[in-house]
Amino acid sequence: MAELLLQALYSGVLQGGSYALIALGLALVFGAMKVINLAHGELVLMAAYVAYTAESMLGWHPLAAVILALPATCLAAAAMHWTVSRIRADREINSLLLTFGFSVVLANGFLLLWRADVHSTASAWLQDALVLGPLYSMHSEALSFVISLALLAAVWWWLAHSWQGRALRAVAANRDAAMLMGIPPARTELLSFLLAGALAAFAGVALYCYGVIQPAYGGALTVKAFIITVLAGLGSIPGVLAAAILLGVCEALTVTLASSALQELTGMVLFLLVLFVLPNGLFGAARRRA
Amino acid sequence: MTALRNHYAAAAALAAVLVCLLAWGGNPYVMSITIAALMTGGVALAWALLGNLGGMVSFGHAAFVGTGAYVSALCTLRLGAPVPAGILLGALGAALSATVMLPALRLRGPYFALAILAYAHIFRIVATEWTSVTRGAAGLAGIPALPVLPGLPPRASACLLAALLVLAFALAYRAIRRSHAGLALRAMHDSEDATRVLGVNSTLLKGAMLLVSAAMAGAVGAFNAHYIGFLEPDYAFGAMWVTLPIVAAIFGGYRTLAGPVIGSLAVSLADQLLFKEWLPVGHQFLLGVLLVAMILASPDGLLPLAVRALRRPRKDGGHA
Repeated sequence: MAELLLQALYSGVLQGGSYALIALGLALVFGAMKVINLAHGELVLMAAYVAYTAESMLGWHPLAAVILALPATCLAAAAMHWTVSRIRADREINSLLLTFGFSVVLANGFLLLWRADVHSTASAWLQDALVLGPLYSMHSEALSFVISLALLAAVWWWLAHSWQGRALRAVAANRDAAMLMGIPPARTELLSFLLAGALAAFAGVALYCYGVIQPAYGGALTVKAFIITVLAGLGSIPGVLAAAILLGVCEALTVTLASSALQELTGMVLFLLVLFVLPNGLFGAARRRA
Repeated sequence: MTALRNHYAAAAALAAVLVCLLAWGGNPYVMSITIAALMTGGVALAWALLGNLGGMVSFGHAAFVGTGAYVSALCTLRLGAPVPAGILLGALGAALSATVMLPALRLRGPYFALAILAYAHIFRIVATEWTSVTRGAAGLAGIPALPVLPGLPPRASACLLAALLVLAFALAYRAIRRSHAGLALRAMHDSEDATRVLGVNSTLLKGAMLLVSAAMAGAVGAFNAHYIGFLEPDYAFGAMWVTLPIVAAIFGGYRTLAGPVIGSLAVSLADQLLFKEWLPVGHQFLLGVLLVAMILASPDGLLPLAVRALRRPRKDGGHA
């Protein structure tokens, strides 16, 4: 039993690392524009389908497909930014409905192009077992965890030290004040979308490498990303990682101790619990959302 | 003034349904897609009531549709309740199930929208896993059928009943909007804080709107369960109970009374007759495109756009 639990913890941590990458994109856009991009999960899935196409039709290694996935997701993210920034009235409600529309468009676009079949990578190396003492994982899981950590660290450094990163944080904190300091908010918001698209490209390719994809999966990814954003509270990348790992571990423990049918339930219950009990998230600064 | 126009529009919609009924009452295909459009209209009205009066976007109305469907189906199947009582109980059950969502009312905007979505997921998982009551993914079959109005073919009768249900929703919506509560809710739309200062319990009012909206969606779900005769969790709590009504309500204009109903008839029929012809797989693609286009071009829907165009003749040729 102890071994099973340890294995569940390990798998959960690895899974959490991948979730963090998905959630960070959502959180960046939410921070900069106060817009929840309900199509973010579909952006991730788009990259995964690009990886599938590159592998099955071009014979590429799925990891190499990041080169193709990056322009695709960034272009889609830029299109989303362009439309969201055109909303004039009732921005809060209309941006939700708009991105919901995008998620419907993309999910059904995947269905049109790739049908409802479930796909996963054919690469044997990615699916081979990686043994670390008593713990098992696939190569792909460990690899995507490492890539996630590296990207999270890179974005963290970029937000803290680069001019653009500081500008992004400034716009997130106070748009008007940032404008007064000479930061063009529209360009910064576009940057947040592009960054979210780029992170989604990596997250999607990783998702294809370690898991299975199907057109309807994007909604679940968006919800998981939002749960993590809420758990983390706004404005902290280590918080996002910790919340993502918490979600991953809770899901893995549910699968081990109860049943895989209840996996989704865990996240939802965790989410509602945090919304009602700790409205500022586990790691966030004090901020009103009610 | 607007209320009066809406009144006429609702009457016109009902008249249109009656005309269809007389002309194609014997055609089961036309009847069945009209019934589906009316169901969508019912959920769209419920969604628009919460959005317009309560100021809240919900992506979780599938929870109420599914709960209403299951409560009614189980009451009639297991307890032998008559179908009309079952539908009433379904509406009540959906409202009761919405009470667990009341804590979400202190959340705003995206937080509320996604909390409701989380509840809907939980409801679906519970319906799937609680097999001793719902029979899980195997589904419930043999749900008692709707009563047939004398002198009409079964589908035409169901169509008329659905139209009456939607009309009842529209009248209830109008009554709420005209009441003191409706006035307070409209004031809350402009400034919730100012309205609270005047002594209005805004949370109570929003909660009431959530329950009313849930009851409406539950009644539609219950009605649909008896019309279809079969239920399974993925259908009863399916995402299409959210997508289609939202697109329809936005298309028609969710801040008006007739908008969601007219929008539902237009969008639902277009989806069935045209979109499915063009794209047998993934025809909701076009619904998504429509939603994006509407939010960009006219977030208040086509009805206000049409009214504006009629008021300013010759400006853009009355095209809406």
